[in-house]
Amino acid sequence: MLIELKDVNKTYNNGQPLHVLKGVNLSIERGEFVSIMGASGSGKSTLLNILGILDNYDSGEYFLNGKLIKGLSERAAAEYRNHTIGFIFQSFNLIQFKTAIENIELPLFYRGTNRHTRHNLAMEYLERLGLTDWAGHFPNEMSGGQKQRVAIARALITHPQIILADEPTGALDSKTSLEVMELLKKMNKEENITIIVVTHESGVANETDKIIHIKDGVIGSIEENLRHDASPFGGADGIMK
Amino acid sequence: MRFDTDRFREIGNTLTRNKSRSFLTGFGIFWGIFMLLALIGAGQGLKDLLGKNFEGFASNAGLIIPRPTSKPYKGFKRDREWSMTTEDISILKNSIPEIDVATPLNSKWGKTIIRDKYKIEASVKGLRPDYAMIESPHMKYGRYLNEMDILQYKKVCVLGKKIYKTLFPEGGDPCGSFVRFDGLYYEIVGVDYSSGNMSVNGRADMAVSIPLSLFRKTYNSGNKVDIICITAKSGIRVSEILDKAKKVLARKHYFDPGDSNACMVLNTESFFMIVNSLFKGVNILVFLVGLGTLFAGAIGVSNIMMVTVKERTVEIGIRRAIGATPKMILSQIVSESIVLTMIAGAIGIVFSVAILAMAELAATTDGMLTAHFQIGFWTAIVAVLILTALGVLAGMAPAARAMKIKPVDAMRDE
Repeated sequence: MLIELKDVNKTYNNGQPLHVLKGVNLSIERGEFVSIMGASGSGKSTLLNILGILDNYDSGEYFLNGKLIKGLSERAAAEYRNHTIGFIFQSFNLIQFKTAIENIELPLFYRGTNRHTRHNLAMEYLERLGLTDWAGHFPNEMSGGQKQRVAIARALITHPQIILADEPTGALDSKTSLEVMELLKKMNKEENITIIVVTHESGVANETDKIIHIKDGVIGSIEENLRHDASPFGGADGIMK
Repeated sequence: MRFDTDRFREIGNTLTRNKSRSFLTGFGIFWGIFMLLALIGAGQGLKDLLGKNFEGFASNAGLIIPRPTSKPYKGFKRDREWSMTTEDISILKNSIPEIDVATPLNSKWGKTIIRDKYKIEASVKGLRPDYAMIESPHMKYGRYLNEMDILQYKKVCVLGKKIYKTLFPEGGDPCGSFVRFDGLYYEIVGVDYSSGNMSVNGRADMAVSIPLSLFRKTYNSGNKVDIICITAKSGIRVSEILDKAKKVLARKHYFDPGDSNACMVLNTESFFMIVNSLFKGVNILVFLVGLGTLFAGAIGVSNIMMVTVKERTVEIGIRRAIGATPKMILSQIVSESIVLTMIAGAIGIVFSVAILAMAELAATTDGMLTAHFQIGFWTAIVAVLILTALGVLAGMAPAARAMKIKPVDAMRDE
């Protein structure tokens, strides 16, 4: 069991207390390709933040690789994030004043890898994602799809066990969305990386093997979706959006 | 914490991203360090310039000048004139062991010194060689008076700077030439370039010094002494010696020891003390103003860094999300602050050194530096240390804020 959540609760105390997660129980095996679906405000992003150790939770238990993740120091949390988890965000979250290759290198910089190794590795990933020609470009010179591929390269470069993707296609058109999903699928199959995608689009969820529905802070149904026809998209062709 | 090219590239990146802001922020520091160093240099230069007035003069010297009495004493009427003799010098030296040097000075005013077609009014001083202990000569050419001159009644003289300049407009070494006054020819043996404004019976640059023995013969002054100049042994206050000397002289010459007018004493020590306390005040002012400006600059840096951190919330959040520890973020912000402060400060140091060098150039006359404006090497080193400390301090508050940024804040802050 790679990820195990037991009765996780989370309340935000910004002015009015907001009970976002109300006892979440969830387990995800190594190598799974999972999506978490829910309407906005259902707590799916909060859940993802907790899974990614970006945020802490109030009660319950979260085991990652069998280790309890609770009350970690900032340093330890940073180490976990750097070594075991890769992040992909809706708004790409690339650093604007760094070139594509510098963005990809950054996690290794914080890991203390030397420059030469970092550079070579980053070039390797750029090549795998077909972005070799864009190595020296800044994010604002690239298209959304290219930016997201840079972000994926950045997530992959540390050889994470888990990739957490928060609405990875939210800012992309349907064609590039499909490409990105195909890419994630490939990573899942070829490198056996556990991928967790948070989305509110059923089309995106349909590409994954397992769909976890979350509603009002609790896990609803969990669908096995190996045939990828769970929720057909609008339109006759069945392409996203 | 690693210090490699990567780190400096990171710092360079962020600082050059918003050039005008970095520039304006740095300007505060630049101005602060410039003000501090320029003021220190200026204060020092002023002190030197003022010190010029006392140049060459022993800081522990005292002068004793006889005046008419103002009180009747032991049957003598008031307003009685009295004068000192060579004998008094040996009495003073014997009865007051704290005296280091005691030397007589006789002088005549308004003598016309002539060389060929050139002439100038000057005072003539009859001196012994040990007068150099009171007012040290600054010999440009030749030598000062010596014991031989005294013993052999040599007709030699040492010219003051102004006299030399007037009588020898063409310049060059005048030693061996002659000047004439009061019908006698004197061979020039030296030129004294000391230019202090404090002097006994005429400024040094407007005086001709001749051997005391010759002076007495020429002007028939017998063993009379106009002024006795003394210096105190080290660690002893001149004023104490002068008080004692007054008493000794009062007993010898029969005037009331309580008669404050009968014997005038001058004490260079008190002049030096006034100047020193004045410049202590000036220095305190310089440090207050300079350091104040510097601190204002540092607070400016801190302020701007604060805004920058706020602006960079997302970026810092991203960095945190992909594995930067708070310590790494802290060290980045603090290093940025240090680098900005150091660069601006270094420019400030260079600039103030350049300005002070120009001031020194302006203060140089006749190829001789009259005042030192330039700050010392160690002053600059201390300035650099202060800058580093300020850089760290200025970076602290913004860095603390940056450390509080959680990765999720970045996500929310889109």
